[in-house]
Amino acid sequence: MLGPAIDAFWLLMEPVRLFALFCGMISGLVIGMLPGLGGVAAVSILLPFVYALDAYAGLAMLLGAVSVVYTSDTITSILVGTPGSPASAPTAIEGYALAKEGRAAEAMGVAFIASAIGGIAGVILLTLAIPIARPLVLLFGTAELFMLALVGLFFASSLVGGSRIKGLASGALGLALGTIGPAANAAEFRFTFGQAYLLDGLSLVGLALGMFGIAEVVSMLARGGGIAREPVKLVGWSDGVRDALQHRWLILRGALIGVTGGMIPAVGATASTWVAYGHAARSAKDRSRFGHGDVRGIAAAEGANNATVVADLVPTMLFSVPGGPAAAIFMGALYIYGYYPGPRFVVDHADVMFVIIWSCAIGSVGGAIICFLLTPWIARLTAIRFAIVAAPLLLVMLLGAYQATQHIGDLIILFLLGFLGWLMKRGGWPRAPALVGFVLAKPMEQNFWLAIQLHEWSWLARPAVLVISLLIVVPVAIQVVRWLLTTYRARAAGVPPDGRVATVDRPAEAPPPQEAASAPTSLALSVLLSIGFGYALILAVDFLPDARLLPLLAIIPGLVLACMALIQDGLPFWRGTARLAIEDELGAELIQFGFLALLVGGIWIIGFVPATAVYLLGILLRMARMSPVGAVAYSVILVTGAYQLASLMLMRLPVGHLF
Amino acid sequence: MNTHVSDIARGRLILGAAGALAASLAMILAAGGAMAQQFSFAGKQIDIVVPFAPGGATAVTARFLAPYLEKHLHGKPRVNVVTRPGGSSLLGAAWVEQNAKPDGLIFLFTTSSTANPFVLGQKGVEYDLLKKRIGFSQSFGPVAYVSPATGVKMAKDLLKPAQPLAYGGIGAAASDLPIILSFEVLKLNPKVALGFTGRGPIRIAFERGDTNFDFQFTPVYLTQVVPAVQAGKAIPLYTGGSVDEKGHFTKRDLVVKDLPSLHEAYQAMYGKAPAGVEWDAYEKAATLTYQYGLTAYLHGDTPQPILDAYNKAVDAMNVDPAFVAEAKKVTGGYPLIRGDAAEPHLRAALKAGGAAFDYTKNLLATKYKVRF
Repeated sequence: MLGPAIDAFWLLMEPVRLFALFCGMISGLVIGMLPGLGGVAAVSILLPFVYALDAYAGLAMLLGAVSVVYTSDTITSILVGTPGSPASAPTAIEGYALAKEGRAAEAMGVAFIASAIGGIAGVILLTLAIPIARPLVLLFGTAELFMLALVGLFFASSLVGGSRIKGLASGALGLALGTIGPAANAAEFRFTFGQAYLLDGLSLVGLALGMFGIAEVVSMLARGGGIAREPVKLVGWSDGVRDALQHRWLILRGALIGVTGGMIPAVGATASTWVAYGHAARSAKDRSRFGHGDVRGIAAAEGANNATVVADLVPTMLFSVPGGPAAAIFMGALYIYGYYPGPRFVVDHADVMFVIIWSCAIGSVGGAIICFLLTPWIARLTAIRFAIVAAPLLLVMLLGAYQATQHIGDLIILFLLGFLGWLMKRGGWPRAPALVGFVLAKPMEQNFWLAIQLHEWSWLARPAVLVISLLIVVPVAIQVVRWLLTTYRARAAGVPPDGRVATVDRPAEAPPPQEAASAPTSLALSVLLSIGFGYALILAVDFLPDARLLPLLAIIPGLVLACMALIQDGLPFWRGTARLAIEDELGAELIQFGFLALLVGGIWIIGFVPATAVYLLGILLRMARMSPVGAVAYSVILVTGAYQLASLMLMRLPVGHLF
Repeated sequence: MNTHVSDIARGRLILGAAGALAASLAMILAAGGAMAQQFSFAGKQIDIVVPFAPGGATAVTARFLAPYLEKHLHGKPRVNVVTRPGGSSLLGAAWVEQNAKPDGLIFLFTTSSTANPFVLGQKGVEYDLLKKRIGFSQSFGPVAYVSPATGVKMAKDLLKPAQPLAYGGIGAAASDLPIILSFEVLKLNPKVALGFTGRGPIRIAFERGDTNFDFQFTPVYLTQVVPAVQAGKAIPLYTGGSVDEKGHFTKRDLVVKDLPSLHEAYQAMYGKAPAGVEWDAYEKAATLTYQYGLTAYLHGDTPQPILDAYNKAVDAMNVDPAFVAEAKKVTGGYPLIRGDAAEPHLRAALKAGGAAFDYTKNLLATKYKVRF
C-alpha cells in the first residue's frame, strides 16, 4: 500500500502536473466563490483542457478544482449567506450570522482550517478505508438509503433555530418542490402545468440561488450599505485559528462522519454534513447561539463537507457509480484516459488512484492556505458599498441559474424562488430545511419505492435500517428524557417548567442580536403557503396512487403546519396587538424585486446583453451612486466578463424575441 | 399562373428538341461539380447538442466522437459538445428544432429517451424526428446475465429458476422498453422493480442480491460484469442481437459474439423462431434503443453534400486505427453507422401506429401503469 502511494507522490511532483494541479485549484477557488457555480461548473469548464494533458496531470487538475470548491464556496456562504450546495448550508447559516456581527474573518478562519483538516482527514481515512470500502458501500441498499435521507431531513428541519413549526413547514415545502417532475415509481409527471421545462423538476442551482442568493442580494441592494453592520475586525482571523484549535476534535469527528457518509452515492454528502452539524449542536452544552452564529456549527460542517469530496470518489472508483454530478464528469475524464473504474481499477491502477488521493490532499490544504491568505482582503469586501459588489454577483447568479438548462424558465424560476426565499428570510422562516428537503425528495421517493418493490414491507426490519433509524430515535429519546428530567426537577424546585433555560448550564456568550422578523411578511407567507399547499393537494389527489404518496406526505403535513403558522401569526393581528403595515425597508426591497422582474422580462424580450447592461447602469447610478463615466465603464466590463464566462462554458445567452 | 403554364409549355418544346443532351450535360456537370468542390466545413464550428447532463453516457460518447469528427469531416471544423439537459431530453431536442439550420453545424445527438416520447406522442414533444436527416448512428448492445443463486445456467433455465427472478430497471417507457418487451417474447414474468437512477445503481443492487437478473450495455458489461463472471458471481445468458440486411434482429451481437442472441435464446427455449406481435414490438423498440441507440439528427432540409460529408467522415473513422482502438473502450467497439444506412430503418421505427405499436402502448398502460 505504502509503495504505490510514495511512487504516486513523485509522479505528481513533475512540474507540469504540479502546475496543472495548481491551475485546477485556482479555477476551483474562483468558481467556488461565484454563487451558484460549484464542482460541476468547475469540472465542466476544465474538461476541454484535459485532452491536452497526460492522465496524471489532467486528473490532478480536475481534482485540484473539486477539492477546493467546498473551501472557497465558504466565502460566499459567509459573506453573502448563499450556500454553494446543500452541504454548505450550515456554514451559510452560522457564518452569515457571524458576518453580520462583523466576525466574518473569524468565521472564515475556522471554516478554512476545518476544511483543510477535513480534507486531510478524509484522504487518510479514505486510504485506510479502501480495503473495506466495497463491503461498506454494499451495505447500503435502497431501504438503507431511504432511511439515511430521512435522517438528513430530520436533522436539517429540527436543528435550525427559530420556530419548530416553521422549520418543519420549510422542510415540507422543500420536499413538495422536489416532487415537481417525474414520479419515481409511476409514469407520471407532477405539477408541470403543461410546461416541458418542468418535466425534469426544478434545478438545484436555481433553488439554492433563488432562495438564498437573490433574497440576500435584494436586501442588500435596498439597504445600500455593506454586508457587515459593524466594521469588520481584520484581526478576527486569529480568533478563527484559536476557535479551530479549540474545536479540533469536533472537526475530526465531523470529518469521520463526512467520510463515512460521503461514500454513499446521491444522499451521502448532504445527509452526512447535516448529521455532523447536528452532532455539533447536540454535543454542545450551550446551544443558544446555534442558528444565530456559532463557530462550532461551522467547524463540524466544514470538516464534514470537505471530507465528503474525497469520499464521494469511492463509489466512483470502486463501482463506477458516481456519487454526484461532479464525480460523474470526473468519471467521464477517467474514460477519456482509458481507465475504467470498477473492482479492478483500484488494484490494476493503484498509481492513478494514489495520484487522485494525493491531488485531493494537496488541493484541500493548498486551497485552505490560499483562502486563508486572502481572508483579510476578502473580509474587507464586506465594508464596500454593496451595490458595487451586488452587480457582478447578480450577473453571475443569472448565469449560474441559466446554465442549468439554458431555458428562460431558469430565470423565471430563479426570480419566483427568490421572492419566496425573501419572504422566508424577512418573515423569519428557516430556509435550509427547504433546500435539504428539495435535494432529498428524489432519492427518498426512489429508494422508498424500490425498497417496497424489492422487499415489500419487510425492509423496515432490515438490521442496517434499524441501526440508521437509531440516529433519529436516540436524539429524540434523549430530548424526551431531558425534558422529563427538567420538568421533574423544576417541579421539585417549585420553578415553572422551562426546558430550554434549564438545559443551559452557563451562558458562555451573550445571546446574539437577532434580525427582527417582520410579522406581516410572516403572515403573508403563511397565507401564501396555506393556499399553495391547498392547491397542490387538490392537484395531487388526481395523481396515480404510486405517484402521489410522497407529494401527499409532504403536502398534508405542510398544509397543517402552514395553517398552524397562520393561526400563530394571525392571532396578534386578530387581537389588534399588531398592525398590518409594510415597513419602509420592505417597501424598498419590493421595489428591487420590481426591477428584477423587469430585468427577467427584458432578457426575454431584448436579450441578455442589452437588458443586463441597462439594469446594471440603473443599479450603479441609482443605488451605488457611481459617476456616469464610472458606471458605464464598470457595466461594460461586467457584461463583457459575463459574456466571456458564458462562452467559456459553451452557453448561448438568450438573444431575445424582439429581433 | 398563366405565364407559368406557358413557361412549362415552352419548356416542353425545348426539352423535346434538346432534352436528352441537356439532361446528360447537367448530370455530367453536377457530378463533376461534386467531385471538384466537395462540401467543406473549413473554418466552421459544429455544436453537438446532447440533451442530457454533462456526466452521462451520451455526453461521454459525444466527447469521445468529437475529436474524430474534427479530424475526418472535410475542412477540419471545430467540434464542440454542448449539453442542454432538462425535460427528460425534450428541452434540448426542442431547442435544436428551433435553432438548427440546414447547414450541418448544429445537430441533436440523443437516445431513445428522446425518440420514445416522440413515437408515443407524449405531451411536451416539440420536435419532429421523422422530418430529420440522419448524420450517423452508434449502436449499443445489452447483455443479459443472472446471479448463480437463480440456478440458471443458460437461457432455457429461465423458465424454471431456483428462486424468483427479480429485475431492476429505470423506467418502462424509457430505455427498459425493449427489455420488458423481451420478457413478453420469452414469456417470462420476473419481479420488475423500476425507478433506479441509472444502470450503475442497478449493478450494485444485483451485487447485493436485491435483484438477480440484469442487463448491462456492452462497454459496461465488458469492464464491470466480466470480472464478476470470472469470479463466478454472474452468469451471462444472451445479448439483444443485431440486425440483418432487412433490419430484423436475427444476428448475434457484433462485439459479444460468444453469447447467443435473444433470437437464438428463444429458439433454444421454444424450438422455433420468434414471431408475432411481441417480437415485432421488441424489434421496433430494439431498433430505437440498441441498433441506433445514439443517433445524430440533422435539420430536415440539410442538403445532400453535407450529408455526404458526414457519411464520408463515418467511413474514414471506421478505418482510423486510433478511433477503432478507443471505440473498443468507450462504446464496446461497434462501428459507427452511416446516416444513409440508418435512416430507412430508423424512420420505420419512429412511425407510430400498427399492431406492434398498439401492443406496446397497451402493455405499458396495463402492466406498467403508464398514462398516455
